[in-house]
Amino acid sequence: MAVNQVKEEMIIDLERTRVGMKRNFSQIGNTFTFELKKNLKTFLIMLILCAGIFLLFWLVQSLQEIQDVPLPENPIDYFQSYLTMIGFLIILTAAGFAGSIIAEDFQKQTGNLLFPKISKTRLLIGRVLARYLLNAICIIFYYLLASIITFIKYEEFPLIILISLGWALYYTFSIFIFVTFMSSIMKSTSATVIVSIIFYLMIFSMIEQIMSFLAGGQEPFFILTYYENILTGILDMPDPRYREVSFGGGPGTGLTEGISFTQWITPNLMTAFWGMFLYSAILLTLAYIRYRRRQMKSED
Amino acid sequence: MTLNRSNQVLVKFINLTKRFGDFTAVSHVNLEIKRGEIVGFLGPNGAGKSTTMKMMARLLKPTEGEVWIRGNGELIKLTSSNKDVLLDNIGFLIENPAFYGNLSPRTILRYFAKLKGYPRKKLNSRIEEVIKMMGMLDWIDKKIKTFSKGMKQKIGIAAAIIHDPDIIVLDEPTTGLDPKARKDVRDFILKLKKMNKTVFLSSHLLYEISEVADRIAIIHHGEIIAFDTLENLETKAKKSVIHFEVLNPPENDLDSYVEDLKKIIYPLTGVEEKARWVKFNPDTNIFQTFFDGQSTNQLKILKALISNGYDIIEFSVPKAGLLEDLFIDLTKEEKIEMEV
Repeated sequence: MAVNQVKEEMIIDLERTRVGMKRNFSQIGNTFTFELKKNLKTFLIMLILCAGIFLLFWLVQSLQEIQDVPLPENPIDYFQSYLTMIGFLIILTAAGFAGSIIAEDFQKQTGNLLFPKISKTRLLIGRVLARYLLNAICIIFYYLLASIITFIKYEEFPLIILISLGWALYYTFSIFIFVTFMSSIMKSTSATVIVSIIFYLMIFSMIEQIMSFLAGGQEPFFILTYYENILTGILDMPDPRYREVSFGGGPGTGLTEGISFTQWITPNLMTAFWGMFLYSAILLTLAYIRYRRRQMKSED
Repeated sequence: MTLNRSNQVLVKFINLTKRFGDFTAVSHVNLEIKRGEIVGFLGPNGAGKSTTMKMMARLLKPTEGEVWIRGNGELIKLTSSNKDVLLDNIGFLIENPAFYGNLSPRTILRYFAKLKGYPRKKLNSRIEEVIKMMGMLDWIDKKIKTFSKGMKQKIGIAAAIIHDPDIIVLDEPTTGLDPKARKDVRDFILKLKKMNKTVFLSSHLLYEISEVADRIAIIHHGEIIAFDTLENLETKAKKSVIHFEVLNPPENDLDSYVEDLKKIIYPLTGVEEKARWVKFNPDTNIFQTFFDGQSTNQLKILKALISNGYDIIEFSVPKAGLLEDLFIDLTKEEKIEMEV
């Protein structure tokens, strides 16, 4: 080997970032920036989706105004009307960003290139941070649009909206982690997205309704989507936080006596905080364990 | 760092074993890979090649046995705690590489080089150098989803060498490629050797391995059944097939033409009477004959054909044919299908 080549190798060896904590953090940082680039297209699509949903609500409000339906007196009530579909928007954006977070490595076999260049731990940390940031920006963007239109209409900006935004970002993180967990057990990105949305739209609601009948007034803290209510609940916290719903009995109903059950409107702050915290922690741990154990397809 | 480092063992497998439940995928593999050599890892699908390489990459934990890798001048046992250090000097291409289609080779290679701590100041020049080596400089900023399979494979190899490792592990790098792309990959592997890189290359394609490897390890049912230089393996085979082409062979009465050839060739083959044969392949215009693999007999046959007036325009003993025979001999399984 030529002496010059050896010297060149030695220079590269000296300049190379050594393994250890510094390399670990730099790998997370590199993954973070790489993921931002990689998900740029999804980010733009999600921003358009947010703008689209905002425009939909703005159109409804405008039509009501044209029909001389008076605006709510309180700007918070007006703002709240834009949060009608915020839960659905959050699950859609979370599915967009987190649906592929683990499944794609196994579906497309992209993991064959990534490992062993980086450990799954560092890769997952970098990915979660980058994709959640993009997801959070989408939600902030939606809140921003709704806040701007509220300000235009009422010429004031209730600061409680910022607290609602904080809860929205926290809830987004929980949903994001829920989709991440789904991604760790599903074979493909599309399956993850579909199953996550089905869980949001159907499974959680069904469990909540069944438990309302069976559990006799028990607050459904075990249902992730229940915590979505804090986003609007914080704007105007009801007291009590539940209502009694009754169905009357009598002829034609098939019931001799009426049925009543407790329907919870929103969790309180502590329940919401710890509920989402536990959900996120448990699901993230399970997703991580599953990711660590999952292996690439072998074509040996 | 010393200048005289040839013959240094860079990687060593000691009794490497991997079991999945009751199934033993790799069984007591012992192997040494020396600096600057190309070691071919040959075996049919399911033989345990990828599993062995994945254990080397620590993607799978061995059930038994050890992998030793040279780091800081000495062989060190690979463990979970030191894998980042030891694997830094190795570039892996494990099975078919799949990429994020909406990104360019530059973006992806930059990410991989950074992951391996490659000096930032040299990143751009290194990426361009590697892509140039692959002959894909015009494609460096194009989206990978527009690439052919062969081009993606080249980017996969580029990803394995981007951080300038001394050891390069390539798992089935030519699988699924067209002949031109296969040749490009083979040429590149030889280029790596000239750069004094050490290559550990697996394939189920005999020809791919025999064209580039200095030493060949044959694995079957998870066990190494042979590990030697190509020449020594050929000697062990002790039988070979000569391929030769004659200028303007007769279009009619080919049978008697073959019979005449037999009379000339048979006494010189060095094999017993019942094992002798001469065949003609009308699709390729190639004659084939079986002999004992001795180069002296090979020369005698060539001389005899020429002196009897045959215009020989091609005369060779394909290496893959030898290996195939050896492989079948070693495994004693005639039904094993090896692609040549």
